[in-house]
This record gives sequence, C-alpha cells and structure tokens, in this order.
Amino acid sequence: MAKVTLFPQACKGMEDCGICALVCPQHLFTSSGEMNEAGYVPTRLTEPEECTGCQSCMLSCPDMAIVVVKEKGEEAS
Amino acid sequence: MKAAVRLKPGTHFIEGNLALAEGAIAAGCRFMAGYPITPASEIPNRLSQLLPTVGGVFLQTEDEIAAICSAIGASWAGLKAMTATSGPGVSLMQENIGLAASTETPLVIVDVMRFGPSTGVPSVGLAGDVVQVARGSHGDYQIIALCPESPQEMYDHMIRAFNLAERFRCPVFVLPDGFIGHMREQVVIPPDQEIELAQRKIAPAGTTPLERQDFLDPEVAPMPVFGRGRQAHVTSSCHNGQGMRNLTDPEVMHAFATMPIEKILRHRDQIVEVAADYAPGDVVIVAYGTVARSARAAAQAARAQGLAVGTLCLKTLWPFADQEVAAAAQQARAVLVLENNTGQMLPYIKAEAAAHCPVQFLGPRLLGQIHEPNAVLTRVKEMMS
Amino acid sequence: MSLAEHPLRKYTRPHVKKTTTCPGCGNGIVAQAILWAIDELNREEGLSMDDFVFVSGIGCSAWIPSPLFAADTLHTTHGRPIAFATGVKLGLPRQKVLVASGDGDLAAIGGNHLIHAARRNIDLTVVMVNNGIYGMTGGQTAPTTPRGLNTITSPYGTMEPEFNVAAMVAAAGAPYVARWTTYHPRQLKRAIKKGIQKQGFSFIEAISQCPVQYGRVSKLGRATAILEHFRDHSLKLAKAREMSEEELAGKITVGEFCDRQAPELASQWSELRARLGKEQG
Repeated sequence: MAKVTLFPQACKGMEDCGICALVCPQHLFTSSGEMNEAGYVPTRLTEPEECTGCQSCMLSCPDMAIVVVKEKGEEAS
Repeated sequence: MKAAVRLKPGTHFIEGNLALAEGAIAAGCRFMAGYPITPASEIPNRLSQLLPTVGGVFLQTEDEIAAICSAIGASWAGLKAMTATSGPGVSLMQENIGLAASTETPLVIVDVMRFGPSTGVPSVGLAGDVVQVARGSHGDYQIIALCPESPQEMYDHMIRAFNLAERFRCPVFVLPDGFIGHMREQVVIPPDQEIELAQRKIAPAGTTPLERQDFLDPEVAPMPVFGRGRQAHVTSSCHNGQGMRNLTDPEVMHAFATMPIEKILRHRDQIVEVAADYAPGDVVIVAYGTVARSARAAAQAARAQGLAVGTLCLKTLWPFADQEVAAAAQQARAVLVLENNTGQMLPYIKAEAAAHCPVQFLGPRLLGQIHEPNAVLTRVKEMMS
Repeated sequence: MSLAEHPLRKYTRPHVKKTTTCPGCGNGIVAQAILWAIDELNREEGLSMDDFVFVSGIGCSAWIPSPLFAADTLHTTHGRPIAFATGVKLGLPRQKVLVASGDGDLAAIGGNHLIHAARRNIDLTVVMVNNGIYGMTGGQTAPTTPRGLNTITSPYGTMEPEFNVAAMVAAAGAPYVARWTTYHPRQLKRAIKKGIQKQGFSFIEAISQCPVQYGRVSKLGRATAILEHFRDHSLKLAKAREMSEEELAGKITVGEFCDRQAPELASQWSELRARLGKEQG
C-alpha cells in the first residue's frame, strides 16, 4: 500500500505535461477536469488503492506536485 | 620550492609589478586568478610564490574570463580576491566586470596597460584602457580606478584599492601602464601594523535574504558571503534589494541599474584623489600615470625659468575628478592635457574645464613614448605667447 | 494540501511557490533528482543545504537552483558557472559546490571551462541538462543537436555531428562521469548523489526534454513523446561498447563513463598551505 498526495496547485496538467500518466505502471492517472489557479487542468488518481508505491510519478513530476509514501502493512489514515 | 618570503619593511629598489604584488599581500589579498600576459606577468609570478605562504590560493586559469569569474567566486567565498592582466585580458573580462559591479562584488583588477589596439606592442606601455575599464561592459555601471605613477604608488594603490573594494563592494581597477609595471625605483614598505585595512561588512547570521537588504543600498549593504548559512541569492539578472530576480517591475529595473552607481558617486569625496600643485593664473598641466612624471618635470623646468606653470595629477581616474578639474580650470590661464594615448580622457576633462579657460591636448611626439619634458615646456610657452 | 507538505520543500525557498519552467520540462525532474540526492545525504551523512553553494549560468536550466533552492545560490553569466564555482570552491573548500546548467551554457560557450575543470580535477559536481537545443532563445541549433535535425538556425538540417559531452569530460580527466535521461530519475538521483560524494570533479549529463522547442523542431511533440523516445533509444554503456558506430546511430548511451580516484585540486591546496606552515585565514 502507498499513500499518494497530489498538489493540484503546482500541477501543470495532463494535457500540457502528463508525465505521471506515462510513467505510472498501473495507469492510474487521468485528468481531473478542473482548472487550477494557473490555468492548468491537473491530474488525479483514478484508483488510489491500486498504487503500488513505486514512486515513479513522484520522481518524474517536474513540478513537485506528487508525493508517494510507501506504507507497510496498514492502510493510510 | 621552499616557502617564499615577503619583502621586509624598509627601503627597496624594486620593479613596479613586484611592488604591486607585495602591496596585494599586505592589503590582505588571499586569492588571485590570472592568465599570463605581458606586461603584467610578474604579478602572477610573484603572487603564486607568496599566496600559499599566507593561507591564500593562486589559480592560473584557462583564460582571462575564467580568471575574473573565479576571482568573483572567491570574493563571494569571503576572500579578498584579485586578478591582473593587460588590455587584451580586460577586453575578455568585460562582461563579468559588469557582473561584479551589478552583484556588488568586492574585487581588485590590475590592468598593466600596453600599446594597442589588438595585439599591438605588448612590451610598450600606453594608457590605452582608461575608458574601456569604465565603459567597456554593457549597460550603465560605475567602477573605481586608481592610476599609479611610480613603483611606490603600485604598492600604496593596491592597499587603497582593496580597502575601497571592501568599503564600497565594487570592482576597483589599478591602472599602471607597462612603463610603471617594469620601472625599478625606490619603494618603502611599511610594517604591517602601520597599514590600515578595511574589511567588508557581512550580513548577519541566521537570517534569510527576504529579511535583509543585501543589495542596492546607497550606503553599501552588508555582504551575504557564502558558506555561513545565509541562503544568499546572487544573480546577474535584474534584482531587488533582497537580491531576488525581478524582470517586470520598472522601479526595480531603475534601482538595479542606478543604485550601484549612486552608491559610489555619493561617496566620491572619499574616493577621488588628485595631486594639485598650481596657483591662480598658472597654465595647469593635467596628467595621470606615467605622464604625470613628465608634467611635473616640465612644470619644474618652467618655474625655474620664472613661468607660471602648475600641475594637476589625477590619482583616481574613476569616478572622474570633475570638481577638481573644474576648480583648477577656474583659476587657470589655460589647461594643457597630457595623455599617453590619442586623448581618451580629454572629452571628460574638456567637459569640466573648457567653460573656464582654453584647453589644449598634447600627446607624446610618438605614441607609446613618454612626453619629453622639453616638448611639454615648448608647448606651454606657445600657449603663453 | 499546502505545498510545504512536500518533503523536498524544506530544501526550497518558501517564497518560491512556482517553478518557472514550461509544462513537461525536464528541468523540474533534474531539480528534484538533485534535491532527492541531497535528502538522502541529509539522512545518511547529515548534510544540509547550508553545506552547499549552487552555481548556474544562463539558460532555462540555469534557473534550477536560482531562486528555488534554499541555499547560497550564484547565478552568473553565460558559459561561466564552472569558472565562478572554481573560485567559490577554492575559497570555501569545505562547502559542496554544485553547478547546474545547460548544454549550450556548459558545452558550447563554456566548453573550455568544462574541459579545464575536469583536467584540474577540482571538487565540483556539475549537472548538465542536455536538451539538444537552445530553448530559452527559441529553438536554435546547439552543439548537442542530433545531425540532420531542422532547427530554427539549421532550417536545412544540421550538418554538424552532435557533441558527446560525457565522453569528452571523461577524456579530459574527470574522475566521475555519468549520463542518464529524465526517463531515468532514480539513476539520475544516484549519479548526482555519487557525484556529490566523490572528492573530485564529477559530471552528470542529464538528457532532458524541451517539449516546447525541441518537441517542435524534432516533431516529437509533447514531453511524454520525448520521454518515450528516451525510453526506447537508451542503451547501457556496457552494451554500447560492443556495438559498431552504425548500430549506435540514434541511440543514447547511458551509464557511468568512469568512476576512479585522482588527486583533487582544492585539497592539494590545503596540503600545500599546511606544508608551508599556515592554514587558510
């Protein structure tokens, strides 16, 4: 299990960037459909519980908009 | 080699470039970067011997651009830093002279001037860089330039140059020509304890740039030198008083360009130095550097013949001694400008003097040769007749 | 969730909320790789941002540390960051000095400083973001642009071969040289960490995407398409060494070009000063 935190205010969007969607082995990222203050449409996770905690999206996000914390055993609170 | 030893206090008969290197060490210089070039090479030669013995570093760089850049880096590391070169090297350094001025970096640049343009004549002195040091980098900025006329002043001006650089956080030039660089003359070296040294003010610890004024203070901001946890933000881009990049606010742009100038001009009385020896009604010979020696010799000869001739020798070229030149011209019968070039400082001198009295220019008979005092005397007599 | 919750935000200036890069730009990936490497060194060796000075030149990637990183940062003139960093390191030998800049900055206008810093073996970590193009000025050809590519200033295709910068730096004597792409953020982070730990000149080339300019002239388009290109064309150095030049055409060789020990300049200066009986004042 893993806890994924998104920072939509820092995201530059699925349409313009979309790197998280490319590198996610589970194909969990999609567009949120809602514009942020900067005018980008950030990504969101479709099925957070499917995240394996590989952190590829976190390491590949150019805008520090994703944090993935691997959690051992118990589910994220 | 064994550890080199500084010249002892006392009277020596030494070359100008050597006196300058000894002066740099006495001034507290602990970093020099340079690239070999005639007629300045004796300076890195000597400092490469001395610097490691006083805890400093000498770096021979791949070119003069790297020399000035690494000296600026060392200054931000907290060391008193310098480079030394000649005209072609200054031409290469120009972009980063502007960076040093706009990032308010204390730095001493020695330019032992030689006959140009282009490669020219490396071993012949000529005051060919007096304007390029002040106006050669792009944009508006202000530097300080000192102009020694003897090996003794090579020593003395280095101490003053470092003190001014530390006091005003700016690049300071020392501008001998190749004649002074290679001239051997008596030099008196004082004991260290008699030399007054200035140290830069340093920004307080434990603060971030947003809590400080690191730049653009007309009274000179304390410097947030690196390595002390100050999170200094230093940029060549237009920046505000905190050093933060701002490329949109016209007020910031104006302050970025004008404050580092204002900082120096506001204190020009602490910087500008002249040696004035004239009386009302004199023909006043205005000169600087090597040629000041000819000016004095000519004035002495004239006075011996009962002629009213005085001198105004500029010890600093920048900021320009505008008030001092104007004051001399107001009392003078006429002004004769001597320069060992085709008249680079003449427009600046004329701008102050021409409203008050006639101004004439005299170059040496052959460019690159020093004026013969007799030739100067002949011209003075013509002006009087 | 406040931006400050991101674990890397403790290494960034709090007032810098936004990155200045275009959407999908690789500079942010490299910035993070640097900060994750420092984060590991923080946990393992107690290094903090106060132990670093970051130096950069001119170009988009020169803005990686400046103003983002909460440390001493020195943003300089085009091509010269290594020269500035050399002075900083010699003046503050205990600080870690890291240069982050682009291929135009470090390999074109500043190429000679790069060669000589590698030759001197001064303890700097140089991270060169190589996007194969002049991005900030609008898509002009770079010494790193692949031969044949039509750019703004090579409208009929570049006639010049691209510069193998990592191999050149290794040949100049650098003890640690690695190349990865922004598709390899883990390897990039490890290489940067190793470079920071290495006593000596280390050079990490990060092949990176410029979706706006390179994406346009290469017709690859978006950031993700360029990253897919990196994924599909990257080749480990060990394998590449067994292949012919023809077979290697269009490939990106990645891995460690060298990892060796050599006498380092700043420490030799410290030894000389000690020998001459004085410590640096």
